[in-house]
Amino acid sequence: MTSRTKRLIAWLDERLLISPLVAKAQRSINFALPSTLARQNKSRVFWLTYPFYYAGAITALLAILQGITGLLLAFNYVPSAVGEPGTPTQAYLSVQNIMRTVPLGALVRGIHQWGANLLVAALAVHAFWAFFRSPYRLGRELTWVLGVILLGLALGYSFSGYLLPWDQLGYWAATISIQIMKAIPLLGESMVQLLLGGTSLTPDTLARFYFYHVSLLPGVALILVGAHLVLVILQGVSEPEEAWKSKAGKLEPPLFGPFFPQQITPVLTVSLVTLGVVLLLGAYAVQMPGEPANKFLTPRFIIPEWYFLWAYGLLKWVGWIYDLAHFVPPSSIFGVDLVSAKVVGILLAAGMFIILLLLPVIDRGKEARALQRPLKTAAGIWAIGFLVTLTLYALNEILSADLSIPIDRMNFILGSIVVLGPLVAAVPAYVVLRHRVSAKMH
Amino acid sequence: MSEKVAADSEKKGRRVTSRREFVRTMVSLGILGTLVSYLSLLTSLLPSPRSSQQESEVDNIFRYGPEKGAWYSDKSGTEVKAEDFDQNGKGAGVLWRRSIPAVLIRVDGSRLRGATAKNGLIAFAAACTHLCCIATWRLDRPTEDVLFCRCHDGVFDPYDVVKDVMPNGAEYLGARVVAGPPPRAAPMIPIEIKDGMVAGVPSNLEIYAYCE
Repeated sequence: MTSRTKRLIAWLDERLLISPLVAKAQRSINFALPSTLARQNKSRVFWLTYPFYYAGAITALLAILQGITGLLLAFNYVPSAVGEPGTPTQAYLSVQNIMRTVPLGALVRGIHQWGANLLVAALAVHAFWAFFRSPYRLGRELTWVLGVILLGLALGYSFSGYLLPWDQLGYWAATISIQIMKAIPLLGESMVQLLLGGTSLTPDTLARFYFYHVSLLPGVALILVGAHLVLVILQGVSEPEEAWKSKAGKLEPPLFGPFFPQQITPVLTVSLVTLGVVLLLGAYAVQMPGEPANKFLTPRFIIPEWYFLWAYGLLKWVGWIYDLAHFVPPSSIFGVDLVSAKVVGILLAAGMFIILLLLPVIDRGKEARALQRPLKTAAGIWAIGFLVTLTLYALNEILSADLSIPIDRMNFILGSIVVLGPLVAAVPAYVVLRHRVSAKMH
Repeated sequence: MSEKVAADSEKKGRRVTSRREFVRTMVSLGILGTLVSYLSLLTSLLPSPRSSQQESEVDNIFRYGPEKGAWYSDKSGTEVKAEDFDQNGKGAGVLWRRSIPAVLIRVDGSRLRGATAKNGLIAFAAACTHLCCIATWRLDRPTEDVLFCRCHDGVFDPYDVVKDVMPNGAEYLGARVVAGPPPRAAPMIPIEIKDGMVAGVPSNLEIYAYCE
């Protein structure tokens, strides 16, 4: 550093008084990641797990990218959906304008679109990796809870963003989701009214969703992401077991190394790859908005975005189970609809979210290593299987049409896969791990 | 002076509020009151009643719907004539009062149960009672005489009109649910023929508000 830079820093510090904080953060960062990560780069197996370790970093990077591209889009987007149903509204036209006439507009929107998809994917990987590695022990419970809330926020982001072009797909995906939300016992109707500014999708709704997307959620997310990261930096990354293993195979405390260059190198590598992938997808695979929204015409195959498919599938699947059991739910219990397929679907989804949120309280075991936790690991595998097969179930109509299998038979096939698939994956995993653990104990 | 008053009060066994306590209580109440009154601003988040525009212009004549690839697609938005429905089983997606999507069908009167057709025509609100997608007639299932909803395969039988109740308690007649997740029948819209045009009779509009 030149003496001039030093003087500038000293000048600033005299006024801001932050050098003790910076020093502390620096120390924390240097201790945050074990240098063994860098040392073990040489191990090929470790390279394979790289994307998992850095899914959090990728998420953060994509979030920044979403912020930048979103800002650029906001300069040209007009949040107005006033107009006759089926005719292009200002919102729709402005998105078309971005795609066609704004310089590099299509690229910016493409990056925003794919960035959102990849962000959710990275977040899912980050969350599942964290689930299996149990880093929420040892005083890191809040980091986990913040993370789960951020997962919810990310879904809120994409839900509100999907509607903004005011095209058929976004409109009807939102309509269905909102009608589902209305069925939430007791709270549904008022929640929807507050969320939409009305009882159904109207131009007023677009104003609100735009506000959520560009103002409310970014504000909340910024605070929560900040807290999440500060906690990670102050507490340090939860140790991977590999870092504790010396060459002799004994467990010993990991070596810590400086943030620069050991720790930053892999992060930068992964970041560059991510940026490249997003740029490529954004440039060559951007989706044009569909037909303008028409509230009097439902398009043939409406499906939500891929990361909501499991929830959509869950609702359909519960309905299928009811049909199979010839169970006709009573329309109300004590005046509240509690057992219809959609309500049960909602409650199941909410239950999954709450379990995730309370995981640090539920799982108080000391053992972090996934291979030493047969039940938890099997449960995680079951959950992944359940989400994947439900996603498949959500596509029942499309699959039935494409494969020309009658819908009833398709439902039966997919419904059985949802029941059996996760078990087929989880039960053997449990048996094998269980055997492995008990063999080690003897 | 005040000390004397305080001492006197104490002698009489009354509790004395010190100046500090008084100020603290008042400031706390003030802050609380301010916050509560500002909270009331949140009521601005509730839906605002839209000025009922074009109310006078709304008539009851059906207009052809926006469906593509149907026999009435090129008539979309024009008034529905009774003579267009020249054979049994012919039906169309229509719009009633500019806001209520419906399906109008020419039916075989002898098969119809629970209601009577007007000039062989019968109409049902097309918004599915499940999640409000718009059901269609013979677009997705061209060979079946059913109202079909694309979203979750809800199926209604227009030949079997039954009594049902809306969540708001309104009783109505509607097309029975044959299959799928819809919780209640698709409400029938009574119709009349005016100068050869088909119109709905707005006897009880509350029934059709279930998707709003």
